Amino acid sequence: MLSVKDLDVRYGQFRAVRDVSLEVQQGETIALIGANGAGKSTMLRAIAGALPIHSGTLSFKHRTMTHLPSCDRVKHGLSLVPEGRRLFAEMTIEENLLLGKSVNRSGDWDLDRVFETFPNLVKRRHAKAGSLSGGEQQATAIGRSLMSNPELLILDEVSLGLSPLVVDQVYASIETLRETGTTIILVEQALDRAITFAKRAICMLEGRIVLDKPTENTNRDEITQAYFGLQENAPQEVS
Amino acid sequence: MINSLVQAILLGGYYALIACGLAFMFQVMRIINLAHGSLAILSAYMVWMMTEALALSPFTSLLMVLPIMAMIGWLLQRAILERATKGGELLPVLSTFGLSIVIDNLLFQHFGANTRTLASYVGDLSWESYQLFDLWIGKLPILIFATAIIVIGGLDLVLRFTSLGRQIRATAFDPDTAGLVGIDARKTAAIAAAIAMMTVAISGSALGLRGTFDAYAGAPQLLFAFEATIIGGVGSLWGVLLGGIILAIAQSVGALIHPQGFLLGGHFVFLLFLFARIYLNRDFLTLRHWLGNKSKGESL
Repeated sequence: MLSVKDLDVRYGQFRAVRDVSLEVQQGETIALIGANGAGKSTMLRAIAGALPIHSGTLSFKHRTMTHLPSCDRVKHGLSLVPEGRRLFAEMTIEENLLLGKSVNRSGDWDLDRVFETFPNLVKRRHAKAGSLSGGEQQATAIGRSLMSNPELLILDEVSLGLSPLVVDQVYASIETLRETGTTIILVEQALDRAITFAKRAICMLEGRIVLDKPTENTNRDEITQAYFGLQENAPQEVS
Repeated sequence: MINSLVQAILLGGYYALIACGLAFMFQVMRIINLAHGSLAILSAYMVWMMTEALALSPFTSLLMVLPIMAMIGWLLQRAILERATKGGELLPVLSTFGLSIVIDNLLFQHFGANTRTLASYVGDLSWESYQLFDLWIGKLPILIFATAIIVIGGLDLVLRFTSLGRQIRATAFDPDTAGLVGIDARKTAAIAAAIAMMTVAISGSALGLRGTFDAYAGAPQLLFAFEATIIGGVGSLWGVLLGGIILAIAQSVGALIHPQGFLLGGHFVFLLFLFARIYLNRDFLTLRHWLGNKSKGESL
């Protein structure tokens, strides 16, 4: 479904993502794991079109979209819930959600269904997005993406800054999504949660993919080692 | 005294009409369009030409000029402003300044130094007036004032309640995220520019109906529009209406104090508001601040 080949994304001279290749099949759930600055968000933003791709190719549903503007990628069913929510703070929840409808893709998602999925938003419907709690904001951001009826939903740091209880709620709602067959890529710092939710784990380190395995074939230790760049045969420090 | 106040308020309606396009563009695209006045004159000339050539009423001509100006707005955004904004904040100011010089001189070359007016084509409307108690109020200023309210109200409604308006606001707030949500920021900006230019066409016609214009009449129009925008606060379009009225009252008071005080009075109040906006609490001069206070006062 999504095919990334030799992706290179740069901030000026700095190569934040280096030669990353990645294949995503329809219906997969993927957890993207890695330390801060490993290049996760950069890669996802480049996939969504918010950052220019320096070299490499990106295709989605057999359509090359390396240099397509982000709005056209949304039109084809690729939607990113950006890190830090990035809501339009001056607008109400409802207006934020309706903006997701801009591309007019046909599908099941509409205002009613979003409010059904996130019941906590209903009574804040006409409140300014800037006045919401973190959980409500995250729900609005996810809902806004869903309104475009995406086939591939990318969630960047969904649980950042949320209380454990709210994180549970957010995950419960993403799980219903997973069951409907939406392909999901998510960035999650809480390792256990990432492994239990996703079927495949990808670990990034210094702009490269260092581990890419089904979650059932891997374990916490292996991922932790990849996370910190510890190799099994790395020379031990002399004590 | 009351007479000059009423006249000033009506004049303020005209200022608001020319200012709302400028404010709209600034609000939505973060562009100060220094070619605003020249474009108004350009559309005034277009209305004049059509009226003259086809023997139409200026109002019919205006209807035909509206889509032309919308196209010009679209082209302006695509060909100049879009590229200029990539070069930083200063570049759009410089390029629209250059554009205004080009437009002014092309107009001068083509139409010469003669002043023109649309007033002669509307018959009695240009001088007829209503009598209200002791006051004589011109029909035309009332028409312009009403137009200003309709245009500003219309823009406000579009921005608030339509899907296009939401997309315009979202693009203004955060263009990157707007793209991620699926909004075509380029298209939205071009539509916004087209809308702004339509208001420019209306204000150009209003100028032609009120009095005379020539090729270089754009600069003072830009100045009044800019002053009204700053006084009203760039945040809201209704503020612009208030700004236009305040500017016009200041000018009239200036004219009462001294025969040459008309412009000075306006400039003085403009500077007063400018410094107040820079040095005082941001909320202090907004419409909401005062309305909010008022309602609190009533509840006590």
